[in-house]
Amino acid sequence: MEADDRRDRPDHVAGERGMSMRRQADREQDLDRELRSHLELASEEYEEIGLPPEEARRAARMALGNTTKVKEEVREMWGWTRLGIVVNDVRHAVRTLRGSPGFAVTALLTLALGIGASTAVFTVVDSVILKPLAYRDSGSLVMLWELVGPMSRDPSGPNPRHADLWRKQATAFGGLALSRQRVDGLTLGTDHPRVVGTVIGTANLFEVLQVVPLLGRGFLPEDDVTGHDNVAMLSYPLWQNLFQGDPNVVGKMIRLGDTRREVIGVLPAGFHFPDANALRAFRSKQPVSGAPEPAVYVPAALDLNKISWNGLYGNWVALARLKPGIGITQAEAQLAPIEAQIERDMPAGQRFDRPGMLRASVQPMREAVVGSSRAGLWLLMAAVLSLMFIACMNLANAQLGRALSRQREAAVCSALGAAKWRLIWNSLAENLLLAAFGGAAGVVLAALGLGLFRRYSPVDLPRLSEVHLNITVLLFSMALTIGSSLLFGILPALRLLRVDPQNSLQQSGSRMPGTRQSGRLRAWLIGLQVFGCTVLLLVTGLFSKSLLQLLHQDKGFETGDVAVAEVRFGTTYAPDPSRIAFDDAVLQNLRDIPGVQSAGLVSAMPLEGETWIDSIRRVDKPTPELLINMRWVSPGYFESMRERLVAGRFFEARDRSLENVVLSEGLAKALWQNENPIGARIGARGTKFTVIGIVADSHNTSLKTAPARVVYLHYAENPPYNAIFTARGAQSASSLVSGMRQAIWKHAPDITIVRVKTLDSQLSDSLAAERFQTLVLMAFGIAALLLAMLGIYGVLSYSTATRKQEIGVRIALGATRSGIYTLTLGEAATPVFGGLVAGLIASILAGRLIQRLLYGTQAVDPSVTLIVVALFLTAAIAAAFLPARRAASVDPMEALRSD
Amino acid sequence: MPKDPSNRIDLLQGTLDMLVLRTLRSGPAHGHQIAKHIQRTTDDLLQVEHGSLYPALHRLERKGWVAAKWEPAGAELKREYKYYRLTPAGKKQLASEESKWKRMTGAIARIMWPAKGA
Repeated sequence: MEADDRRDRPDHVAGERGMSMRRQADREQDLDRELRSHLELASEEYEEIGLPPEEARRAARMALGNTTKVKEEVREMWGWTRLGIVVNDVRHAVRTLRGSPGFAVTALLTLALGIGASTAVFTVVDSVILKPLAYRDSGSLVMLWELVGPMSRDPSGPNPRHADLWRKQATAFGGLALSRQRVDGLTLGTDHPRVVGTVIGTANLFEVLQVVPLLGRGFLPEDDVTGHDNVAMLSYPLWQNLFQGDPNVVGKMIRLGDTRREVIGVLPAGFHFPDANALRAFRSKQPVSGAPEPAVYVPAALDLNKISWNGLYGNWVALARLKPGIGITQAEAQLAPIEAQIERDMPAGQRFDRPGMLRASVQPMREAVVGSSRAGLWLLMAAVLSLMFIACMNLANAQLGRALSRQREAAVCSALGAAKWRLIWNSLAENLLLAAFGGAAGVVLAALGLGLFRRYSPVDLPRLSEVHLNITVLLFSMALTIGSSLLFGILPALRLLRVDPQNSLQQSGSRMPGTRQSGRLRAWLIGLQVFGCTVLLLVTGLFSKSLLQLLHQDKGFETGDVAVAEVRFGTTYAPDPSRIAFDDAVLQNLRDIPGVQSAGLVSAMPLEGETWIDSIRRVDKPTPELLINMRWVSPGYFESMRERLVAGRFFEARDRSLENVVLSEGLAKALWQNENPIGARIGARGTKFTVIGIVADSHNTSLKTAPARVVYLHYAENPPYNAIFTARGAQSASSLVSGMRQAIWKHAPDITIVRVKTLDSQLSDSLAAERFQTLVLMAFGIAALLLAMLGIYGVLSYSTATRKQEIGVRIALGATRSGIYTLTLGEAATPVFGGLVAGLIASILAGRLIQRLLYGTQAVDPSVTLIVVALFLTAAIAAAFLPARRAASVDPMEALRSD
Repeated sequence: MPKDPSNRIDLLQGTLDMLVLRTLRSGPAHGHQIAKHIQRTTDDLLQVEHGSLYPALHRLERKGWVAAKWEPAGAELKREYKYYRLTPAGKKQLASEESKWKRMTGAIARIMWPAKGA
């Protein structure tokens, strides 16, 4: 009868599927009541025959037997509710997992790490790369660039007149707007200006983006005319900060730079305009650290008639919306004849010397915005995927080992009459439990990771503030990790269906069926894990080396104890004597700060790329024109940066001639080879200059590129629109920062100080992306190494446990301890070395792919390879040592006696 | 109280159900009554652990051979007991079990005591 019932069980369960928990509870109560009344009656009877009440109750209970067992049996009888089964099996699973904490912790950590890391990174990649623009139908938004003759390798923002013709003549676009960005000082009245990002756009900008203001109105064509353009729209965050979300903000006045503007509208909360880095008009330009989020929008009021036909490239970016059904190539094909016509129609004096110098290109806006961060993010994603891969291998290995070691237990259960589906369900429940906890930990980890990511991410990740935990992504990575865990948990369990309990029980406990076959599978899994780990470690090594290279190369200037302050002028400080007076006054104030050794001024922030690219030539004989960077500096600049003088002299306070220039060494070599250039004349900016000095090449435009060729001119020659003051002090640079601010505001309290920072932090900001990448990769590399160690340890300890008897025999027959060490370590050697070699080969390929992201480091770097191999082997030996020692210390007598 | 524990016979597997059904043929009864009845009728010879009766009852209920209902009983109907009663299906089942049992005991008897059987 009993056996019959068991076989019936699945049907019962099916039949009772509709039974609710409530009915189950009712039935339990019912049985309780029934048993209680039985006990009452029985003890009454015993009392009747003379037993004292206490004794009677005891006797009645004895006669009834074990009530828990009775209840259990009755419950069995009715079959479990689904929930009942789950609750019971989960209880069982918790018990068994507690029994093997090593496995449970490994699995949980692996799951949490896999899910957490991949979700965090996937989320970022998904929102930054895959759908970076939150505009309506953003797929049809494109950027229009112009490739101009001599600068043609670098698409630049188009000449506004050309763009205007595109708008009028090409039918491909539903709208075409121009915009540019700058940093402004914003005040409501008498306070020091606060720094905001300003977007200057044509009136149709929001029409093209299809954005409707939250409050007030957008720009009208009437606003886009000089004299009527003193209006502004605010971003939602600025409205909240500056006006505390005042609903009556429309009509209020703000002062932006020197202009008073009326607020006409507020943009919706979700609206973000890509910042100046994301939409830079020269694609090859270095990103600016700390470019403020665009917050104020003002009309461009462009007077096209004042714009030359050939020039002003790279000042504006053109945004357009493709009409439905129009592709990139179609749009480009429409622009080509317009460009040709423009070239022909240019006024004689401005024309290129040969045709075909002007070309237009169309780029999806998404691509433009994601731009340079794309490669780094894909790298991150690849790293996460390899980590996931390693994690899955680890889970698979742990599960496999566990399933095998439970085979005997399963055989016993099944011999005792347990239904096989029930055994599988048990291991399923265990897995689901792990998955639930691991998944929960993973979600927490992902949220934490995203938080860290947002805080410490490199400067050029667009739209990062909009990144939120993505449920789809989370589900995806959970499905992946948990799926692989389940797969490798269930597959071995399914084997149990085929296990003949008798056969299995006849086997000795230490020699389980399928050991050899599964041993091979586990070796493969280890090999794959080692492979993935090696590749990840090598890539990490390459990036670390590249970063070290960047940091420790000869920069040509010294960062310690230097602070820099960027000041933005409005039109008040036009390039006239008052402007020079300002510069001189501030420089004097800076030099008066106690401890300041030297102070100077330069026209471009160090480490933010090339600026003011112009051409120069020798005056004395005809040479090809050279493209160079022009920088205007004051006396004291080179000293404060500690750039090295090679020949001649730097600018001095007594210099009054605006014709003196200092050249960078590379430039001087290019023009004069080995001749002495001091005193020689160059032609530039339509006039002639005299070379007074040569300064050593320096990486002051970027640490990541070769030193730029630079012509340094006297600051009074053309006082820069943005002045960057530099100061070197005896005290720490950070205390200089506040001193500089005071020194500048002491002279002009209403001037906009865009930023003040130490040169050290400017340097580390300029490498933020690289540092971040390396850091994340390192974290992944370490995680992968730990996982691989866990994997090796797990496999070896499992196999030494199963081979205990064999090892005992060997020792009994005279094998030495060191022989046993060799035997055990040798078992791991094949997969480890196999994986290592495969990993080294694959990393050559990977190195090729990332070569572009490396500086001063080759894809195959012997020192990195050596370090990684050494590191890995040390780790592998450490992981293998414990099991090997356990094997070597097997007591032969005990091993042979046991089981 | 059992008279002499050493004399008791353990119930054969599967016979408890039949005994319960047979007991219920004479009318509805609750668990305690059924246990008492089996014990008393066999002069305490058959060992029925009271506890094991309940799984059997629930099994029979589940198969639809008996039906159960809580009914008041005892002095002044103060207490309720769960009364089991035979269903038509149960009657049929009992008949078939009975005939099976008869054939089996007959067969066993023929082997054990060949002279009588022939």
